[in-house]
Amino acid sequence: MIKQSVQETEILKVDNLSWHADEREILSGIHFCLTKGEMLGIIGPNGAGKSSLLRCLYRYIKPSSGTITLFGDEITTLSAKEFAKRVAVVLQDTPHHFDLTTAQLVAIGLTPHKGPFDITTAKDREIITDALAKVGLTHKAGQTYEHLSGGEKQRALIARAIVQRPKLLILDEPTNHLDIRYQIQILELLRSLNISVITSIHDLNLASALCDQLLLLDAGKCISHGTPVEVLTEQRIGDVFGVCCKVEPHPQHANPQISYFYGYSSIREKQGGQDDCGHKA
Amino acid sequence: MTVAIKPSLHQVGINLSLLIISLVSLVAAASFGAADLSFADVLNVLEHKAFGSGESAGIAERIIIELRFPRILLAFTAGAGLSIAGSVLQTVTRNPLADPYLFGISSGASFGAVVVLTLFSSSGLLSGSGLFERYEWLSLPLGAFIGAGLSVLMVLSLCGRTMSSQIERMLLSGVAISFMFGALTSLLLYFSSPQAAASVLFWSLGSFAKASWDTLYLPLAVVIFSTVIILLFKRQIMAMRAGDETAHTLGVNVARLRLQMLLLCSLITAILVANCGGIGFVGLMIPHTVRMLFPGYFPLLTTALFGGLFMIWIDVLARTLLEHQELPIGIITAVIGSVFFLTILRRKS
Repeated sequence: MIKQSVQETEILKVDNLSWHADEREILSGIHFCLTKGEMLGIIGPNGAGKSSLLRCLYRYIKPSSGTITLFGDEITTLSAKEFAKRVAVVLQDTPHHFDLTTAQLVAIGLTPHKGPFDITTAKDREIITDALAKVGLTHKAGQTYEHLSGGEKQRALIARAIVQRPKLLILDEPTNHLDIRYQIQILELLRSLNISVITSIHDLNLASALCDQLLLLDAGKCISHGTPVEVLTEQRIGDVFGVCCKVEPHPQHANPQISYFYGYSSIREKQGGQDDCGHKA
Repeated sequence: MTVAIKPSLHQVGINLSLLIISLVSLVAAASFGAADLSFADVLNVLEHKAFGSGESAGIAERIIIELRFPRILLAFTAGAGLSIAGSVLQTVTRNPLADPYLFGISSGASFGAVVVLTLFSSSGLLSGSGLFERYEWLSLPLGAFIGAGLSVLMVLSLCGRTMSSQIERMLLSGVAISFMFGALTSLLLYFSSPQAAASVLFWSLGSFAKASWDTLYLPLAVVIFSTVIILLFKRQIMAMRAGDETAHTLGVNVARLRLQMLLLCSLITAILVANCGGIGFVGLMIPHTVRMLFPGYFPLLTTALFGGLFMIWIDVLARTLLEHQELPIGIITAVIGSVFFLTILRRKS
């Protein structure tokens, strides 16, 4: 994969972010910046705080302390509409009985751009048509969302986000429940959009191949932040995920490629995570 | 090529067709009833009224203009109002079984009506003041409206600030309030006269028999006003179908919109229940029917028009099924509603 060059323009800055729920510390001391066109992958084990961090970023929960600035504006000072014009979000779950057509679902992305008296114009229809074409779903425009495949559903949700015309796109595990073809397809689609993207992701190899930066979270704390080469080391993956692995450069893009070893998790637990997996390079 | 949302044009066609069918139904329905009048008689009366031409039909004109038209318009208004309220409530509470009586509104209204009929009517316990006799036409709807409003206020105060975020709590509060008013209504009926009990029963099953131009304006104005407001918020309501969190990310103030819609639907329902009694099933059945007939759309206006049209013909059935007697609307809608759900269940299994 060839990474696109990143212009050094700061879009988002997160400074000393913490969030407590019922006295329990979920996130603490998170710092990072995102520049224009960059794709940041948030990785970490289950319960590390990935979704909570994203929820703070799209203002669904209010951080206990710290600041988040978007294009220099503290996000709490923006109106809901203004914020939605800058940031689009694709979540994991949609309701079960969602009987809208794909085109109608995508058209929902117009919501922040429309007042009560505004109608859907020819230009809006063009935006919707373009978004459907971008995600390759033009032929499914009239089909009910419920009848799309897993990958198509995810692409339809991304098309809805494109219609929102955001500067930043946030996704919560967009590759969940998808087979490997769709996982690669979705992440390549995100890269091709040329907008800044923050996504939580479980598959470390995909994250390594397609993200410019990674943020590794564990127990609500930032363990490491940097390029995939800086973040994905054998020791760190072993410490955070409790698995044994070998990290080598990928033959195509030279970013870390992780191979996992099986049958070592119990040994690691017995030895307090200090074991080096016993594998020979 | 902008084929993507072509269906919206299709929807305009559907709504226009429904509007035309409703207007034709308005005239056609006026020819049904105890007095034997034909479709041509109705057209003749309308022509005379509108252009001063044609023959004046005397008694027929009075029946059509003063009795049947307000009644048919009230039926249309009630059907449209209950259907759109049901559709909006099913969306904003994400509960496919939500109907306009969600807050115990019908129980509250019944309680208000029973209070009026049992305590203040001529045969009631506190009769003799002459006040009821003087304002009889107003006291029943007013009592029902106050009862309906009271139930909404009680649900709101029970849920407090969590109201719009915790839907389950709100639904359960509605159930509790409904039972409480049900118990109070039964208690009052237990001690009341048989005539008052019969009046309450007839009222609670719904009827358009008391419709007149004077009592039509308020429900008509409320339903039109609320429908316009709901249509203005159509995009936001549609966004809520994708879930609260997604709607939030689309710039929708979810808690505020939900509260506004709940209050607006309560207003529609309270006004209608006060004027026509408790008409069940329509607010639940019509939104589902419209969604089944036109899958893939979010047809709020279609739902309202379809509900109005449906109610016009239900009222015709109520007037004509039995000779010299009217059936309460609620009985017919309940029969159709139960057959409707059984058919769906059978088809799905």
